[in-house]
Amino acid sequence: MDLGWLVSTVSRALAFGVPLLWGTLGEIYAERSGVVNLGVEGMMILGAYAGFAVAQTLGHPGWGLLAAAAVGVVAAVWHAFLTVTLRANQYVSGLALTLFGLGLAGLLGRGWEGRPLRVPLGTITVPSLAEIPVLGPMLFVDQTILTYLGILLAVVLWVVLFRTRWGIAIRSVGESPATADSLGINVTVVRYLCVALGGLLAGVGGGYLSVAYRPSWTEGMTAGMGWIVIALTIFASWDPLQAIWGAFFFGALYHLSFRLQAYVSPELLKLMPYAFAILVLAVSGFGGARWRRRAPGSLGVPYVRGER
Amino acid sequence: MKRIGPFIVERRLAPPRHVVFGVSVLAVVVALLLAALVFWAYGVSPWRAYAEIGRGTLGTVDGLSDIVRRAIPLILCGVGLTLAFRAQFWNIGAEGQLLAGAVAASGVALFVPVPDGLRLPLMFLAGFGAGALWAVIPALLRVKLQVNEVISTLMMNYIMAYIVEWLVHGPWKGPTMRGFAYTDMFPTAARLPLIAGTRVHWPTLGVGVVAALVVGLILSRTRLGYEVRVVGQSPDAARYAGISFTVVLSLAMVISGGLAALAGVGEVAGIHWRLRSPSHISMGYGYTAIIVAWLARGSPIAAILTALLFGLIFAAGDLMKTTLGLPFQITGVFNGLILFSLISSDLLMYWRIRWRRRGEAWT
Amino acid sequence: MNMRKLVLVVAALTLVGLLGLGAEKIKAGFIYVGPIGDYGWTHAHDVARRIVDEKYDWLETVYIESVPEGEVETYIDQLVRQGCNVIFTTSFGFIDGTFAAAQRYPNVIFAHASGFKRAPNMATYMADFYQVYYLNGLMAGALTKTGKVGYVGAFPIPEVKRHISAFTIGVREVNPTAEVHVRWIYEWYNPAAAKEATEALIAEGCDVFAFTEDSPTVVQVAAERGLPSFGHYSPMYEFAPDYVVSGQLVHWEVIYDDFLVKIHEGIYTTRNLAHVDYWWLLAQGAVECAAVPAVVYCETACVSDTSCACCCGCCCEISPSMVVNPVYERALKDYTINHPAFGTISVYDLVFLRHNQFADPGITFDPFEGPVYDRKGNLVVPAGMWMSYDHLITMEWAAAGVAGPWPGEP
Repeated sequence: MDLGWLVSTVSRALAFGVPLLWGTLGEIYAERSGVVNLGVEGMMILGAYAGFAVAQTLGHPGWGLLAAAAVGVVAAVWHAFLTVTLRANQYVSGLALTLFGLGLAGLLGRGWEGRPLRVPLGTITVPSLAEIPVLGPMLFVDQTILTYLGILLAVVLWVVLFRTRWGIAIRSVGESPATADSLGINVTVVRYLCVALGGLLAGVGGGYLSVAYRPSWTEGMTAGMGWIVIALTIFASWDPLQAIWGAFFFGALYHLSFRLQAYVSPELLKLMPYAFAILVLAVSGFGGARWRRRAPGSLGVPYVRGER
Repeated sequence: MKRIGPFIVERRLAPPRHVVFGVSVLAVVVALLLAALVFWAYGVSPWRAYAEIGRGTLGTVDGLSDIVRRAIPLILCGVGLTLAFRAQFWNIGAEGQLLAGAVAASGVALFVPVPDGLRLPLMFLAGFGAGALWAVIPALLRVKLQVNEVISTLMMNYIMAYIVEWLVHGPWKGPTMRGFAYTDMFPTAARLPLIAGTRVHWPTLGVGVVAALVVGLILSRTRLGYEVRVVGQSPDAARYAGISFTVVLSLAMVISGGLAALAGVGEVAGIHWRLRSPSHISMGYGYTAIIVAWLARGSPIAAILTALLFGLIFAAGDLMKTTLGLPFQITGVFNGLILFSLISSDLLMYWRIRWRRRGEAWT
Repeated sequence: MNMRKLVLVVAALTLVGLLGLGAEKIKAGFIYVGPIGDYGWTHAHDVARRIVDEKYDWLETVYIESVPEGEVETYIDQLVRQGCNVIFTTSFGFIDGTFAAAQRYPNVIFAHASGFKRAPNMATYMADFYQVYYLNGLMAGALTKTGKVGYVGAFPIPEVKRHISAFTIGVREVNPTAEVHVRWIYEWYNPAAAKEATEALIAEGCDVFAFTEDSPTVVQVAAERGLPSFGHYSPMYEFAPDYVVSGQLVHWEVIYDDFLVKIHEGIYTTRNLAHVDYWWLLAQGAVECAAVPAVVYCETACVSDTSCACCCGCCCEISPSMVVNPVYERALKDYTINHPAFGTISVYDLVFLRHNQFADPGITFDPFEGPVYDRKGNLVVPAGMWMSYDHLITMEWAAAGVAGPWPGEP
C-alpha cells in the first residue's frame, strides 16, 4: 500500500466519519444518563432537511446548521418527554421517532428535491499545517470546520464526563438514579438535558450531510447512518474519546468498500462494516473484564422515585 | 397518590385486561385525530379521508383480503417476538430472520430435487431452520460474550440483506431473467395455494394462527415458558434458581427467529414466487412486527389482533397513495403518530382515577 | 434538431385524433417504482406523464409512486377500479405482476417498461442510452489526461453493462490506451454511496466521470475537484455549469405520446399489442445527447405555459439544446485523431458526425459494430456485424478497456 492510498483513505474517513462522530457523541451522553434513543436516524434526517431548507432560504450554511441543531433538540425533547416523563418504553419510542422523522422529512422535503444548495459549507485548508508532507493532505485539506470541531467537542465532552462534577452527576444518573436522587441530583433534569444534547449533535450530524457533505436535499439521505451511530456508541464503550476512533474507523471502512472493489467482491465489502461491528463487540467480550464494554447500569430503565 | 380537584389518582401494579384494551383503543383514536390534522393540512377533508379508507379496506372483499395478506408476515414475526420480548431479549432482527427464511425456501424451491408433494413442507422446514440458526447467533453472543443484542440483531439484518443481494446478483441469478437480478420463477409445486380471487396464501396464515396458539401454550403451560418469564422479569432470581440463560435464550430465539423465517417463506412462496431484492421481499415487516409484539403486551394471541391492525394501516397507506393522492411518505408519519400515542398512553394504564370519597385525606 | 419535424407530425396526428369520430376518453395510470423526486428514472417518467397529460384533453392521468415490486398487482387492481383503461408500469420488476394483470383484465391496455413479456393487451417499451453513452465516451476519451475515466454504476445488470461498454468503446476510439474504471454501488439511488465511489475513483487517478445513479452526486463531487463529468437522465448542467460536458437525457414523452395517440386513434387495441415493443433511441428522439435540453417556446395561446412543448404546432425553439458545453468546445476541437474511417478529424467533429449517423432514420453506424472484443480477448461481435436486439439486452461481457469488478462476467 503506497502513501497515496493512506492519504486518501484517512482523508475520506474523516469526511465521512463526521456525521457518525457527532451523532455518536450525542448518543453517548443520552445513554450515559440512562436513556437509549434509537431515534438517531430520525433526528439526523430531520436535521438534514431543516439544515438544507434553512440554508437555502437564508443563503448561509451557518443558519442551516443552527436550524438542524434546533430541530434535533425538539425531536429529542419529545423522546425525553415520552421516556422520562411518561416513562414509555425507550426502544419503541426511538423506533417511532425514526419512523416519524423519515416520513415527515420526506413529506416536507418534496419540493426541495434535486436542487443544489446555493452556498454550501466550504472545505478549509489549514494554513501552514497543510504544507506538511503526507500529514498535510491527509488531515488538513478538504475537510470542513465540522471535522475539527467534532474532534474538539469529543475532547471537551470527555473532560466534562470524566473530570467534572457535571460528569459525575450524569454518570451516576445513568448508573443508579435512585442513589443520584438521594444525593440531591435532579434525575429528570439531567436526563432531559443529556437527551436534548444528543438530539442537538445528531441534528448537526444530519445537517452536515445536506449542507456540506453533499450540499442538496434528497429523501432518506442519512441511509442508515443513525443505526451505525447506535452501534458505534457501544463500540466506543460510551467514551467520547473512543468515539473519535470508532467514527473514523467506520468512515475508512466505508471508503475502502469502494476502493477495494477491484480486488474483493463488492457485496462482501458492503456487509463488512456491519459484520465488523459485531466482531469487535464479540472479541472484546473474549478479552475478559478489562475489555468488556459495560453499559451504564440503568440504561433503558425509566426512573420512578420510590421504587427499587 | 395524588389529588386533582375532586379526583384521586392512584397507582396500580397490574392493569386489568379491559383497561389495557380500552386505553389502547383510546390511543389509536387519538392517533387518528392527530392524523386528521395531517390530512387537513394537505387539503383533504379528514371525513372524506377516513370514509375512503374505511370503504376501501373494510368495505370490500379486496380490501379485507389485502389486510389479511399484509397481516400474515406480521403475525408470524410478531408472535415470535412476543416470546423474545418476554425474555427481555430485544430482538430487532426479525427482518433479517425473515429474509433468511426466504433464502432457504428459495434454495429448496429452485435447487433441491424432491418430490412435488414434499417441496412446500420442506421449504417451510428449511426456512424455519435457517431463521432459527440466524437468530440463535445473537442469543449465544449475548450469553457467552455479552454482545448487546440490539446491535447484533440490527447489524445482522443488514448482513442478511446483502447476502440476498449477492445471491440474486451472483450465483442464483436466473438464466431466464435476461441478466436482471432475480432468481427464476419457482416451479408450480413450490407456490402456495391462494384463497380464490385474493392473494391470501392461506397455509401461511394457518401456520401463523397455530404458531400463536402454540407459543401462547408454551408461555403459560410449559417449563420453558416459565423460565422465559423468570429470565425476563428477574434475571437475578433466574440465576438463583439455576436457570440456564444459554438454554432459555437460545430456545426462545430458535422459536422467535424460526417463526419470523416462516413469514419469509410465505412471502416468497405465496407472493413473489422467486427471490428478489430484499427491500421488495419485505416491506419492513420485521421492524413493524416489533411494534406489533410490543402493542400485544407480550401475548401471542393478542399479536394476531395487533398484526391485523397494522395490516389495516399498511392497506390504508396504499389507499392514501392511490385514492387520496397523498404522497407516500404520509404512511410513515401516520405510523409514527400511532406509535407515539400508543406509548404515551402506556402510563395511563398504571394509574387509576376515581372520585374522592367524602372526607378522604390524601397522603 | 428534428424537434420541428416532430412538432409537425405530432400536430398532424393530434388533428387526426380530434377528428377521430367520438374516440373515447383515455384514463392512463402510471405505476412508479421510486419517488417522483428521485431526479432520475421515476422523475423522468413523471415529467413525461405531465407533458402528455397537459397536451391532450382526451387524456387524464394518475400516478402512484414508490410501489414495491411485489405489490404491483394490488395497485393495478386499484387503478382499474378507478377507471384506468391504460396502465404503464415502469420497472422491470413489475414484469410478472403486469403480465398476470393483463390476463385478468383483458379490456385494459398495459405497457411495461424495459421488459420482454408481451400479450395481446400488453406492450413493452424502452428508451435506451447506449448510443448516447458512446458519444459521451468519445468526449471523455479526449478530455482525460490521466488516461483513467471513472464510472459509477448502479447495478451490474445488462442495461448498465451495455452502457459502460458502449461508453468504453467511445473512449477507446479516440484514446486507445485509456481505461474506464468502474465502481458499483448496488443501488439505483444512494447519494452517499455515489459520493464515496466517486472519491475512490478520484483517489485512483480518474479525471473524467460518467455514471448511472439517480442523483447529481457524481457531478457535484467531480466539480468540487474541478473535474468534468457527464450528466445522467435529467439535465444536471445547473449543478456544475463549468464541469458538465454533456450528458444522457431521456424523453419518455415521445414514447408515451406515440403510444397513447395510437390508442386514441384505435390503431392499438387490446388485441394487437403482442408484438408492439418500443426500443427507441436517438433516431426517434426518445433520448438525447446534451448537457441542457432545448427550451421550447410557444408563440400563440397554449393550454399551459409550463410545458408548452409542441402543444399546438406553434412552437419555436428559443434556445437549442446544448450538446457540448461551450467550456469544453475548444479542448474537443483541439484534440484530433487519425480515424480509420474519416482520416484526421477533431473529436468535436467526430461527435457530431456520429450523432448524425445515429439520428438518421436509416442508422448507418452502431457502437457495437464488429469486430468487438471483450476484455478477456474473446471476439463477441464478428467483423462487419451488428449486435442483435436480444444480444444487446442480455449482454454480460465487458468491452476491452473496462477495468474493475464485473460481476457475472462470462
